[in-house]
This record gives sequence, C-alpha cells and structure tokens, in this order.
Amino acid sequence: MLDLSLKMLLGDRAKYIMLISGLTFASLLMTEQAAIFCGIMQWSGSTLDNVGAPVWVVDPMVEQINDTEAMRDTDLERVRSVEGVAWAAPFYQGMLRARMPDGSFKFVQLIGLDATTFAGAPREIVQGRLEDLRLPNTVILDEYGAKKLSRDPARPVRVGDTFEINDREARVVGICRSRMSFTGNPYVFSTYHQAVQYAPATRKVMSSVLVGGGEGADAAALARRITAATGLSAYTKSEFLWRTVWWYIRNTGIPVAFGATVMIGFVVGLAISSQTFYAFILENLRNLGAMKAMGAPDGMLARMIMLQTLTVGLIGYGCGVGLASLFGAVVLRKGMPPFFLPWQLPLITLAAVLFICWLAASLGIRKIRSLEPAIVFRG
Amino acid sequence: MLASMKAPFDSTLPFAVRTRGVGKGFGEGESRTEVLKEVDFSARLGELLMLVGPSGCGKTTLLSVIAGTLGADRGEVEVFGAPLHRLDKAAVTAFRAAHIGFIFQQYNLIPTLTCVENVSVPLRIQGHAAGPAERRAAAMLEQVGLGRRGHARPGTLSGGQQQRVAIARALVHEPRLIICDEPTAALDSENGAKVMDLLRGFAARPDRCVIIVTHDNRIFKYADRMTHMEDGRIDRTECAAASARRAEPAALVA
Ligand SMILES: Nc1ncnc2c1ncn2[C@@H]1O[C@H](COP(=O)(O)OP(=O)(O)O)[C@@H](O)[C@H]1O
Ligand SMILES: [Mg+2]
Repeated sequence: MLDLSLKMLLGDRAKYIMLISGLTFASLLMTEQAAIFCGIMQWSGSTLDNVGAPVWVVDPMVEQINDTEAMRDTDLERVRSVEGVAWAAPFYQGMLRARMPDGSFKFVQLIGLDATTFAGAPREIVQGRLEDLRLPNTVILDEYGAKKLSRDPARPVRVGDTFEINDREARVVGICRSRMSFTGNPYVFSTYHQAVQYAPATRKVMSSVLVGGGEGADAAALARRITAATGLSAYTKSEFLWRTVWWYIRNTGIPVAFGATVMIGFVVGLAISSQTFYAFILENLRNLGAMKAMGAPDGMLARMIMLQTLTVGLIGYGCGVGLASLFGAVVLRKGMPPFFLPWQLPLITLAAVLFICWLAASLGIRKIRSLEPAIVFRG
Repeated sequence: MLASMKAPFDSTLPFAVRTRGVGKGFGEGESRTEVLKEVDFSARLGELLMLVGPSGCGKTTLLSVIAGTLGADRGEVEVFGAPLHRLDKAAVTAFRAAHIGFIFQQYNLIPTLTCVENVSVPLRIQGHAAGPAERRAAAMLEQVGLGRRGHARPGTLSGGQQQRVAIARALVHEPRLIICDEPTAALDSENGAKVMDLLRGFAARPDRCVIIVTHDNRIFKYADRMTHMEDGRIDRTECAAASARRAEPAALVA
C-alpha cells in the first residue's frame, strides 16, 4: 500500500513539485538566515580567531573581546607568576585612523603582538614575512585591508607600500589572511611596541595578556587559576567567544532583527508547506475516503499520509539545505554577507521540517479519522 | 439470454442482507431530520436487487448503513449473518474489506494511479503483495474488456470505460456483496447497458448478492427484484422483469 501512496504523490507532478518547492524554500530560508546570523555572531569574535591564544586575560571591566579597558604593565608580571603559565605576552588592540597617500582616512583595527614570541600572530601570511615586523614602522595588513586601503580596486596594497597611522609611517611588510571584523575595519598587525607608538599617548596601553599553558595544559583550569591569583578576568578562547556572542545578543538589535527573519523563514515555510500539504490531502480526501469505504483501516491511511509527507519533507529539506550551502559557498568567497553554517544548524532545520511534516500529516490524519466513508456515495 | 446466467428468484434463498427497524437521522434539535424510519430491508444471495425511489428518500443512506460506512442510530443490520450493529469500527472495516465490493456513481478511481493499480487496491488493502495483486487486477480488467488499457490513467478513459474499471475493482477480491449507487447515472444508455450487462454477467452469481440503487428506469429490466423506498421507509418489493421473464411470478415479498 505504501508504494501506492508514493505513486499517488508522484502522479501529480505539478502538485509534487509545488510541495517540494514549498519545503525547499522553507528550509533554505531558515538555514540561510540562521547562518547569516551565526556569521555575524562569529564576526563579533573575529579577533579571537585571528589572534590565536589559548587564554585571554583582561581587566574585570571588560565584557567582550571588542571592548577594551587598559591594563597596568605590572599585570603582565602578575600573570606570568601564576603557576602553570608557560608564556604570557602583552597584547594591544585599538581602532585607529589610517591616512592613505591620497589623504583619505580609514579606520583600522590595530593589533600589537609581542615581538619576541609573536604569540597570536596571523596564521596565514600570503605575502611577505612575519619576522619583518621587527623592523621599525612596519605592519602586516589583511587581504581585505589590502583591497580597502587601496585607491585603485585593480591594484590592492602590496608589500612595500606605505600609509600613515596617527601621522606615523606604516610600511607594509606582509599581507595575511584573516576573518573580517565585526566593524568591517581591516586588521593591521604590528609588534606590541610599535602599536604603542601608533596609539595615542596614554598612561596605560596594554589591552590584554595572551597566555599559553604549554603542551597539553587545561586552558579552562589555567584561566580559573589566573583569576584566583590576580583578580583579573581570564577566559579560554571559546569562553571569551561565547561571552562576546551573548553580549551582542543581549546588547544589540542584531538578534531581534535576525531572530525575526529566522522566525519569518520558519513561519513562512511552515505556512507554505503545511498549506500545500493540507490542500494536497484535501484533494485526496475523496480518494482516501473511497479507500476507507473499501475497507482500508485508519492506520493504513495514516501511514500512507506520513510516508507522503516525509518523502516530500526530506527531499525539500535536502534541496533547501543544499541551496543554503551553495549560497554559503558563493558568499564566503565574496566575504559578504557573513555566513557561518555550524553543523547544528542543518539539524535544527531538519527538526523544524520534521515538525512541519508532523503538523501537516497529523492535520490530514485527523481529517481522515473523522471522515465518514459514506461521503464517497455522495455526488 | 440473461435467464441462463442465473437461477430464478427463490424466496427460500438465504439472506445476504437483512435489516430490522433501522433508523438514522441527521442534525441536532430543530433541524434534525429522520432519514431512515424503521427500515426492514432484505436481499438474498444470488439476486440482483434494485433499490428505487424518489430522490432524497434515503436510498444512499440505507446503502451506507448496509455497507457499514455509516452507523445506524437504532435497529439491526445483518450481512451474511454478521451483526454489523454489534461489531466495533475496526471489525466492520475489516468485514467491508473482505466481503463488500463498491461501485460509485462518480467512479472514484484514483486519478494518479494506473487502471491496474486502481483495480488492485482492494487486494492491497487486504495485504496482498503488489505483484500478485496487479496480475489479478490485469486479469479482471481483461474480463471487463479493458485488458489493453491497464497502464492508462483513468482520466484518459471515457466515462463508460471508467465505470468498467470500477466494476473490475469492485469484483477483484471476490466479494459476496456488491453495492452500487447510481452506477449508470452519469452514462449514456449504450454505456449504461454495457455496465449493466457486465454486472448482470459477472456480479450476479448464486453465491453473490448485488444491490443497485438507481432511479434510471432504462436499467430496471436487469433486476430480479425491485425494492421501492419512499420517505425513509420500504414501500414494497416486487419481482421484476428479469426474474419475471424466467420464473413463475412470486408473491410480493415485504
Ligand atoms: N450526512 C448528512 N447530513 C445531513 N443530511 C443528510 C446526510 N446524508 C443525507 N442527508 C439527507 O438525507 C436525505 C436522504 O438522502 P439520501 O440517502 O442521499 O437520498 P437518496 O439517495 O435517496 O437520494 C436527504 O434529504 C439528505 O439531504
Ligand atoms: Mg443517492
């Protein structure tokens, strides 16, 4: 009987394609919107990805990675003295104004790294050498910055070009790959001491202390020990990322705006597909009624409906998530809009699609149960 | 010609269907109408019985009660001795699947399935596998003269052909009671006659009972007996042309 239910479904090509399209659209909308949301959230913690450090130590006032509260230079020594700290390096980050040779201004995210260890240095240098950062007045720019800071889109900034940060020369000695920052400003890497010179003069400049615990160390335990010993806040990379993400969720309109589109995707998808399903079932009611009159038990008809909805649901889901991934592959190459598809997302979409199927099927099954098979005698 | 296919009507034949005091109403309160009022109806094995009467008198309702697709409010319904009024829904459904074949005015073929698949449905409902069920369905289509249209969709056939597919579907699982509601109402007289010839020839057998609701007087001549209904009651039952032609006139059976 189940094979007949599939034939009944596939027999009406137009209706079948419409059902699949409805669910494809629903899955696509949900997955894609949620992935863009995740992408934005991931951008909020880009610095954590671009600067690889197992543990971040910051002033207790700091709520998230893009927030800076300068620390005392002595804090570095206090962190170094905590048991289990293999290395601790000063770290600077700040948003500074860069002046292009043509006189225009752009904001950049300046990162200052410890020159002896280069802890937290960009992982992928595509042009130039990291070691050249030890030369005076030198920086490494990310690829995005190389495009953005150039006047001529056909000729991005190259190694050897110069611009100014706070009226001080910055010679490009390397181009690296990095994740786009939340603000859309390019990342510019220099040594810590160089960064301090670029930064406007203040008494305290150190933004955080990057800490490593050596081979096989437990980062979370190390962070707890640092907090206990120094009173400073210490987080592992993932703790800091989640803190940052939650901070943005609580303090900005992004989750509301995007939560709304994800919800709209869900509701529209739900409406479209349960509507089409329901129409399909209503149309088939006469056929199912005839089967019921001929002695098909409710359970058999219910299984037929469930198989039909599941078939359409899973195919639609596959197409939708496939299209969302395709969309992701294209936008990731372009870098805009942000897109991040964690593995949990397709599972959540699957759950939503199954929910839609369940809803449509149970509506139809309810209809079948209450159906008087005698209706088939009526004209 | 017809007489040779069937024994003359015999009031000693066992009952196929028997109802006593069946009542059925629709609606609530003020708007409630009693459609069946104390209906005592019977049909015997081996006969083709026509249930006739003016539109709205309750023929379809009675047929639904006999088929067990509609529960009666009161009274008793026995089909081949099984008390449908005392069985639960699942048992009635199973009984229907095994013993009753249906032919509807609107054919009710499934448009997205082929004729063979449509005809195989009653067998599939009873749990037969697709292969054997479709072979039997194809053989049945052969018998109604549509052996070559097995893989066509019903929508590509004429109304008369569709009703012949429906006849094949009603008979494929060898039911003992065949219930038809206005089987020729949507057909011209030529196709109507073809359908009735088939019903007369295949369906009406000594071990079967065929009940046809109709008010198409062109087909009255195919009946062994005619039961007249009027306003929710059985008015009278008489032996009709088909049996009159081949048997001595029997007394009116109430
Ligand atoms: N499900 C129903 N609900 C309400 N009224 C019904 C229903 N089925 C039948 N009726 C009413 O019962 C009466 C008899 O209907 P029916 O048995 O179809 O008559 P017939 O088949 O003799 O034309 C009609 O007046 C019809 O409106
Ligand atoms: Mg009727």
